[in-house]
Amino acid sequence: MSHIHLPDGILPVWLWVSGWVIAILVGTILLKFFKKEDLNRRLPLLGMMSAAMVLGAAVEIVPIAYHINLTVISGILLGPSLIFIATLVVNLILALFGHGGITVIGLNTLILSMEGILGYLFFRLLWKTLKRLTPATFIATFFALSLSTFSMIGVVGLGIPHYEELIHQEKEKGIFEFKLLGEKGDEHGKAKEKGEINLKRFVAIVLPLGFLGWILEGIITTLIMKYIHRLRPDLLRLEKEAV
Amino acid sequence: MIQLSYLDYLAIEGKSFLHRLSPRWKVIGMLLVLSGIVILRNLSELLLLYGILLSLFFVCRLPLRIFSLTLYPLIFAILFIFISGFQVHFILLIFLKVLCGATGVVLLLATTPYPSIFRLLGRVLPSFFVTALFLTYRSIFILLNVLEETQHALYLRGGFQWRHPWRSLTNISNAFGHLIIKGIEASEKMYESMTLRGFKNRIHYRGE
Repeated sequence: MSHIHLPDGILPVWLWVSGWVIAILVGTILLKFFKKEDLNRRLPLLGMMSAAMVLGAAVEIVPIAYHINLTVISGILLGPSLIFIATLVVNLILALFGHGGITVIGLNTLILSMEGILGYLFFRLLWKTLKRLTPATFIATFFALSLSTFSMIGVVGLGIPHYEELIHQEKEKGIFEFKLLGEKGDEHGKAKEKGEINLKRFVAIVLPLGFLGWILEGIITTLIMKYIHRLRPDLLRLEKEAV
Repeated sequence: MIQLSYLDYLAIEGKSFLHRLSPRWKVIGMLLVLSGIVILRNLSELLLLYGILLSLFFVCRLPLRIFSLTLYPLIFAILFIFISGFQVHFILLIFLKVLCGATGVVLLLATTPYPSIFRLLGRVLPSFFVTALFLTYRSIFILLNVLEETQHALYLRGGFQWRHPWRSLTNISNAFGHLIIKGIEASEKMYESMTLRGFKNRIHYRGE
């Protein structure tokens, strides 16, 4: 749900260009902290987790337009630096299948990697304090997803003036084209008053569906973590912190 | 995503003029389509662009089976129309932009083998990133094989049934857990074999 499923050409240029610039900057800075050997050694794991995220995104729960992201579990397994690169790769591949626009890859990477990084941080913090896998994973996933959904709503909200422009240009060209400039301005004002672009309506649709998604993904992530903990606990690197 | 291997097959086995065209020109064409999607705000112009892409799709004799891939992103566009208060023009604008973008990328992927696309990307992107992209693409096929095997086990344990949500969720989660563990084991083996073959931070493509 926290993924911006917008096509190209809907968000204003300044917004998606900023998304790309920030994503490239963050990616470059994160890579500087990595040793080349470590990076090469972990590349296949990064590829495999990215592939798992791509497959997760392909499993669509149609009635609520939700798909699992697996970003939190990938964040826990890959760590905060590699999850950023992994989400960039995932978004590029998903965009090549029309799942979100190509221009919004930068913004989607920032939002999805935030989900992975916050999930990783919340999980480590909760594990240290609770020492119990189920609540630590569920709460970490729930809050990471809810925060990234709010950031997605924020990004969509930033584009409101642009959407209004897209709607009103047609009206100005069409049925209102015979009016005087002043009248056109009044009409534009009235249209705005009617609240044609309504972020509240969008939020009212996204949040309840998102809430279902956060719970669903929280449960699935928790069950996956329990499965991995049962079979390959070494992958979670919890031993040194466990009581 | 299951159609990925079929897209690969089409890209390699296809004989149309678009299949024979240099990948560089196809990527440039895709960038032009993208620019069109970003710049165009007129329904008739977008319809024209979509018409051109559709005719290319049929001229290249791409099977209708993959046409559904171009319609898939509409599911998400439907969610976004609520923001506009059901303005017909805005909805059509969004739908056409979605269809143009999706048809463009499906055309590119169904007529260009992915190593050719990655080789082109390697000229502009850091080698580390392109290697990650290639390994992800390869891993999707590995995981799809694991998923196919897991599916049988999943069905034997009841699969996914709306009547038994908890059991279904547990089954799905175990399948994904199995997928991740198998995937990580495969990635460890992959790294060993890559190192044995002299891998040093970048993959070289045929012709380089």
